[in-house]
Formats: sequence, C-alpha cells, structure tokens
Amino acid sequence: MKNVLLIIKKEFNRFFKDKRMVLMIFLPGVLIFCLYTLIGTVMENVSPTIPDDYMPSAYFYRLPDDFNDMSDLFKPQEYDSLEDAKSAVTSGDLDIVVEFPADFMDKYGSITPPDVKIYYNSSNETSFAGYSLATAVLSYLNAFTINSSADTFDLVDADEQATSILAMLIPMLMFSLLASSCISVAPEAIAGEKERGTMATMLITPVKRIEIVLGKIISLSCYAILSGLVSFLGVILALPKLSGGLVNLGAFSYGAGTYFMLFGLIISIVLLMISAFSVLSTLAKSVKEASAYIGPLMLVIILLGMASMFFTNPSVGLYAIPFIGSGIAMSAVLSMTASVVGVLLAILANLVLAALMVVLMGFMFKKENIMLKK
Amino acid sequence: MEEILKVDGLTKSFKQPKKLFKKAEGPHNVTAVDNLSFIAFKGEIFGLLGPNGAGKTTTLRMLATLIKPDSGNAFVDGKSIVSDEDAVRRKIGFLTSELKLEDAFTPDYLFDFFSGLYGIEKSVVQSRKFSLFQKFGIDAFKYQKYGNLSTGMKQKVALVVSIAHDPDFIIFDEPTNGLDVLTARVVTDFLQELRADGKTIILSTHIFSLVEKLCDRVGIIIGGKLAAIDTLANLTKDKSLEDTFFDLYEGVTGEKI
Ligand SMILES: Nc1ncnc2c1ncn2[C@@H]1O[C@H](COP(=O)(O)OP(=O)(O)OP(=O)(O)O)[C@@H](O)[C@H]1O
Ligand SMILES: [Mg+2]
Repeated sequence: MKNVLLIIKKEFNRFFKDKRMVLMIFLPGVLIFCLYTLIGTVMENVSPTIPDDYMPSAYFYRLPDDFNDMSDLFKPQEYDSLEDAKSAVTSGDLDIVVEFPADFMDKYGSITPPDVKIYYNSSNETSFAGYSLATAVLSYLNAFTINSSADTFDLVDADEQATSILAMLIPMLMFSLLASSCISVAPEAIAGEKERGTMATMLITPVKRIEIVLGKIISLSCYAILSGLVSFLGVILALPKLSGGLVNLGAFSYGAGTYFMLFGLIISIVLLMISAFSVLSTLAKSVKEASAYIGPLMLVIILLGMASMFFTNPSVGLYAIPFIGSGIAMSAVLSMTASVVGVLLAILANLVLAALMVVLMGFMFKKENIMLKK
Repeated sequence: MEEILKVDGLTKSFKQPKKLFKKAEGPHNVTAVDNLSFIAFKGEIFGLLGPNGAGKTTTLRMLATLIKPDSGNAFVDGKSIVSDEDAVRRKIGFLTSELKLEDAFTPDYLFDFFSGLYGIEKSVVQSRKFSLFQKFGIDAFKYQKYGNLSTGMKQKVALVVSIAHDPDFIIFDEPTNGLDVLTARVVTDFLQELRADGKTIILSTHIFSLVEKLCDRVGIIIGGKLAAIDTLANLTKDKSLEDTFFDLYEGVTGEKI
C-alpha cells in the first residue's frame, strides 16, 4: 500500500510540473462554459422566456381542504375528468395536474406515507416552472412522498420530446469530456513509460506489479476526475444562461442527492475509462500505438453515450450495460427521473468492470513480452 | 570462497517477428543464451566477456528478473530468479542502458523515489544520498531535470539510483559504455571500492582492457554458450586475453580472424 502511495505521488508530481497537463485540466471546462453561454445567448433571442409574474395553471384532483392555500399559487382550472386534464397537459393547454390519493388524509404522516402525483410536460417551459413550484411547496411538508410510484409523470408528446434533448445531450457531452481527459493522460503514463524505458526501471524493484497498476490507475483517475469536474462545473455555471434559451434543465432545482449521484456516476465512469484505456496502453509499444488503439474505443464510448438517449423508458437491467447504462443514468439524474437503484447499478457495473481490468493489468504487467516489447 | 551466484543451465530464445522471415529461410527462433552455467563468488568482480550478440545482456536481464529463462535457473544468494523474484530484486542492483529514468524529475527526487520503493528509511536515504551524490559530483546538478543532463551526468545518476538500496550484488551491463575517460575512471574506481566493501559485481563487456583492469574471474561467452571460465590470471597466463579470446572464437565458430 505504501508503494501505491509513492507511485501516486510520483504521478501527481509529473502532472503538476507539466504546464501543458495543468492547462488540460481547465481547458475543456472553460471551453464548454463559453460554448454553452454562447448557445444560451443565441437561444434566448429566439425563444420566449417565462415572465417573472407568471402563474402556472393547475388542475387539483381530490385537493384536501387543508391544502386549499396551495391553489393561491396557481391558476386553478376545472376539467371533467383526470384524463381530460392530463391530455391538456400534453397538448400544452394546462401546466400541471396534481393528484392526491383518496386515502391521503388517513395516511398523512404515517409510516406508509401517501404519494402525491404531479404530472407535467417537459417540453413546455411553463409546465416545468409549475412542476418545480408544486414540488417545492409540497416537499416542504415532508409528510408524504411525491411521484414515488412507477407511473410516467412526464406527459410530453413523443414528438415534442426533442425539446428536452439537452438532458440527453449532456451524457454524450460528459462522456466526450471525460474520455478526452482520460486519453490525454493514460497513453502517456503507461505506454509512454514503456516506450521511454522508465517502466522497466520500476519493474526491477521489488514493488508488486499490482501496486504499480493501482498507483497508475488511481492517479490517472484523479487527474481525469479533476478535469472532468472542471468541465462539469463549466456546464453547471453555464446552465442558467443556457436554460434561459433552451427549456427544462434550468427549471429544476437540483438537490444534494442529484449532485451526489452525478458525482458517483462521474467517478465510476472515469475509473472505467481509465482502466480500459490503460489496458490498451499496456498492450501498446508506444504512445502513438496506444492512441491508435484508444481512438476507436473512445468513439464507441461516445456512441454508446449517444445511444443511451434512445431508451426513454429503460428497464433497470439496462443500467448495468457499460456506458449505455451510465448515459441513461446520467440523463435520468439530470431530468430528476432517476431511480436510485438504477443509478447505483450503473455505478456498481462500472466499478466491477474497472476492477476486472485492474486485475487483468496485474497479469499483463507480469508478462515480459507485453511489458518489454520493442 | 563463498558461492553467491549459481547459474544453472540458463536458456533463453527469442521469437523473431514473422515479417522478417517471410522469405528468409532458417529458424524463427534465436537462441540468445544456450544452457549457460557458471558460479560467482562473494566479493569478486566477475566479467562476462563476449562479442556483440553473444547473449551477455540477455543473461544479465535474466539474472535481474527482468525476463524469465525458458529453462534453467539461477540462484542469487540462494534465492531463485524464477520462483523468488521479489527476494532477488531486493538483493540486486541492476544497471543497463535499457533502464531509463524519467526526464521530468530531478536526481534528488529520483533517488528518494527509488529508495522509497525499496522501503528504505528516510534518514538512511538522506545520508546515503549525501555521500553518493558527493562522491559522483551530482550535488552540482541534483535539482536539475534529469532530461536536461548530459549523457555522462545521466549515467552517473542512473548508477547511483541503481544502488540506492545498497545491494550486496550488483549487475552492470557495459558499465563504461558511452562515458568519457574521466567518468569511466570514476565508475571503475567505484566498482573496485564496492568490491573492497565485500560486494559482488557481475559485469558484461566486450572491452578486453576493462576486464584486465577489473575482473577477478572471467566467463567468455560466444553464441550464447560459455566458451571458457577461469580466473583472469589463468586466462592470461600463456598469452594475452585478446589472443585467448580469438583462439576460443575460432574454436567455437570455425571462423578464422
Ligand atoms: N527482445 C529480443 N527480441 C528478439 N531478439 C533478441 C531480444 N533480445 C536479444 N535478442 C537477440 O539475442 C541475441 C543476444 O543478444 P544480447 O543483447 O544478449 O547480446 P549482447 O551479448 O548483449 O550483445 P552486445 O555486446 O551487442 O550488447 C542477439 O541475437 C539478439 O538479436
Ligand atoms: Mg548487450
């Protein structure tokens, strides 16, 4: 373990002595911030924004008397049936439907709290505003759950879903950002050391091969995570501007849970990417060869991230598929529709796969025809 | 005399890349070291003398556990290079041009890093670093990047780093290759000093004068096989080392030189 730390420290030393590598931590984040802000500014001029004094329209179904105050915050609407109201949400005539269960008051505050259902339309900006407002007001009470059943609450028309494309683009974007920071370090640190003959110097010391592998993977992942987080920060900081123009994302008020899940996802994705790239870098004789191996893999990863967009109603099993699952999980987290089990499954799948690759590398590091290939 | 290295039938062959052999005839394997056996004693400088491609470097790489023999074994102070690699690695220091140090770091840092990998206590590292850096004149450039040093400076740093953990058994491949006379002298003097301290040194070279100057015993290796092994005194009794070598070479290869 002490040797792992020594190697991690050495790698950090190398990263932070190199101006180019330090720059690479910040560059993608800054670029993404500028790009998003630009897109946001452009979009702002073409799409209308919600006026400050806008009052969302709502249909309350079985609204308990104690909650009558709530209707002051909304423009209450009347419909003949719950179904009529829902189709009004889909068509955009109505912002939200709030459905209280019949036994709401009986279960209120009990061990099996009642579940309030809020239907909205993610393609409709004002519907989103209404959804956030209702969620905020109701969750303040903390005595019941909101939208915890498996129903679909987003009543968006399939065609209109295109407008929520941003939530789906983010996984692909994050994937490319993370992959590009991984690719900027992994070949250099492993194939580069082999090529320059510095790996062999370490191989004649009594350090365990797996310790070298762990030291490399951990330090490289830290670098990539740091760079990934800076990129992510760029995205977050640009969001208010962006959401002014494009709908949806800005309307959410993300809680700590969302950030926590995102963070977990990012770390596990980076570990998986770094391990996969490291395996290829171990096989390669030179940095050039490693980059040639990793290029296609990176493309596949980004395509898988893109593919994750097409699973609108993913079953939990899909979350375990490498990269597709993480992509699904990430957009689900960002649109606040994620199931915690799914996200945990995606994280676990990434970690297990990364661990397998570390073990594989441990074996590869013992093979002279891999490590000393000329 | 105490036996510290026992080499027992070491054999190693390399596959040649298929491309090279598409048209050419002959074996696809090159046997670099062929059933090599010898013994080295504690406190001596043992020289492996041989022409280019004789298998000297390959032998030393096997002894240093960098590569594994196809068959045979060797024991460093009783520890097998095949089955007890970690124990062997702790006992030896290996210096060859194949092993490089990272350009981005300073000699000072490199010394600390490698000492750390051997688990040496910090205070011991500092005092050893101090005396070795002084002996080799590394102090003057110990905070410069390794990549910016001259070949000779690099060689000195590599030498010092390879013995940072104070090994009793030192393996040097072509110790004076690429060095000017001054630096070569520093290195050969140091090797003699190490011997005086009771360390065992195995070195490979094709330079007769180096063998004559340093070695107690010599193994002459030709085509991967041991052609002769004896004390330097015995090998140079009747004729010069060079003549002994050429006679052996003729005997083994049938080529007249
Ligand atoms: N990694 C390798 N792959 C293929 N062939 C190799 C490899 N290493 C050595 N050889 C071959 O093994 C033979 C012995 O090489 P080696 O480097 O041991 O010779 P040497 O005695 O050190 O020569 P020199 O004095 O030139 O350094 C040569 O024919 C060489 O081509
Ligand atoms: Mg050689």
